[in-house]
Amino acid sequence: MNRSSGPVVWIAIIASTCLLLFLFKKILWLVVPFMLALIIYYFLQPATHRLVLHGLSRKAAAAITGGGFIALLLLCAALLFPWVSSHAVGWQVSLARYVEGGSLLLQKTMKGLEAQFSFLERASLSRNVSEQIATFTETFAQHYLADLVVTLAAWLPSLLLAPFLAFFFLRDGRRFTKFIGNAVPNAFFERTLYLMHEMDKTARAYFQGLISLTILDTIALAIGLWIIGLSGALMLGLVCAVLAWIPYVGSILGCLLVVLVAATDFPLDPWMAYGAIIVFILVRLLDDFVFMPLTIGRSLRMHPLLTVLMIFVGGAVAGVPGLMLVLPLLGIAMVVGETVGMIVTDPRLQARHAYARSLRARQAAADLQS
Amino acid sequence: MFLFSKAEDSSRLKQLRALSLFSTLNPRELKTVDGLLHERSFLQDEVIFDQGEEGQALYIIESGKVLICRQGQSALGKIAELGAGRLFGELALLDNSPRVAQARAVEGCTLAVLFRADFLGLLETHAVIASKISLQLARHIGQRLRETVNAPGSQSE
Repeated sequence: MNRSSGPVVWIAIIASTCLLLFLFKKILWLVVPFMLALIIYYFLQPATHRLVLHGLSRKAAAAITGGGFIALLLLCAALLFPWVSSHAVGWQVSLARYVEGGSLLLQKTMKGLEAQFSFLERASLSRNVSEQIATFTETFAQHYLADLVVTLAAWLPSLLLAPFLAFFFLRDGRRFTKFIGNAVPNAFFERTLYLMHEMDKTARAYFQGLISLTILDTIALAIGLWIIGLSGALMLGLVCAVLAWIPYVGSILGCLLVVLVAATDFPLDPWMAYGAIIVFILVRLLDDFVFMPLTIGRSLRMHPLLTVLMIFVGGAVAGVPGLMLVLPLLGIAMVVGETVGMIVTDPRLQARHAYARSLRARQAAADLQS
Repeated sequence: MFLFSKAEDSSRLKQLRALSLFSTLNPRELKTVDGLLHERSFLQDEVIFDQGEEGQALYIIESGKVLICRQGQSALGKIAELGAGRLFGELALLDNSPRVAQARAVEGCTLAVLFRADFLGLLETHAVIASKISLQLARHIGQRLRETVNAPGSQSE
């Protein structure tokens, strides 16, 4: 379909994206599992599709892939729980060790800077930063740990919803399309079908692109970290790639994580930490200029300037969830806005709809007039 | 069995099988196609689609009559009047070209609608069903061509 939206449509698209972000922030407990369910749905869709190709009904294919995924999650949880319980104390020690390693690296870097620039030495930069880090780490458990545990416990039931939602998306997705189609007047019916098809295409391209991007990022970062000799390169790569789902903030957190591990594994070699930062930056550049255009970039057909601006707007309106949600929401708002814009501004479709309404009104009043 | 349950030969499936496009499908295949079809009701004189509009779907008449005509010329520009079981708008299934004529309901009618994206999806997921429908569609287009060639005043032969 020919797409040429005017400024009014674009203002409406951006405004509705912001409004949705604002509303979604209020119902995050529902939006987050819904988004996760969409990711799982598009992750499982190719497998379901393949089963349908082999002659299974859609319901059976959805039951196998969705049920299999839920069973796999339950199995992982059952296997991981005793392992997590037995290693929890060890992790606490490791965490403290990594924080200490990071703090040592920071101190060394600060001291190096103080040796170069005397005004930093006069400001006691190294001592101040060390004191602040020490205070933060000492009071972390006291101030934040309880809140963190309570928040996790509160989120758990709604997060558990995600695989079940994904199963129903896989099973009843078509019924939903029919249901929406039935509610639309005849004049707009074909355009609405097209709109729903385009929305599904956009969302599928985005989420399947996101999964591909995560795999590519994980592999690239794992290879880079493995080459410089860091331990747990694959796990670190995966965690950083998942964190990168949150624009900017996720990348910074991922970089900090890599630096902490490098500084702790090689406390006497600060160049290892710097090497890890260089690898991280190189992978981010590769991500921005090669992987992203190959995966997600193609799905949303957005101007890079608009993408960056909307990420800032998303962060300002809804914080970290806003950063994550803004691009898929904008993509869907674009498709809806452009199509609704085409319908609303098409005088012929409006005239046909008005005529059909008058026909229905006449039919309804036929026996009243005689 | 749940996984491969035998399709019920319900009245809906019988109704679908009576349509030329689906006459070669077995009950299970009909059930799959039924999941993709949308049903629309149009009142007498209501426009179904306009000439020049981008076509997204094929229409099959379940009941009632439909007039295919030049845009806005119901009487003079009449091309065909189709009854139950016939289909129209089939070119939309094959390409993105604009509709070549207008379709209007001659009387109150019920239409089954097959959306192009669903048909293309069917080609990937259920190649046998899609090939059966395609063959029927090709026969239908061939029939139309033959009718056009044999029409009085045609210079093709």
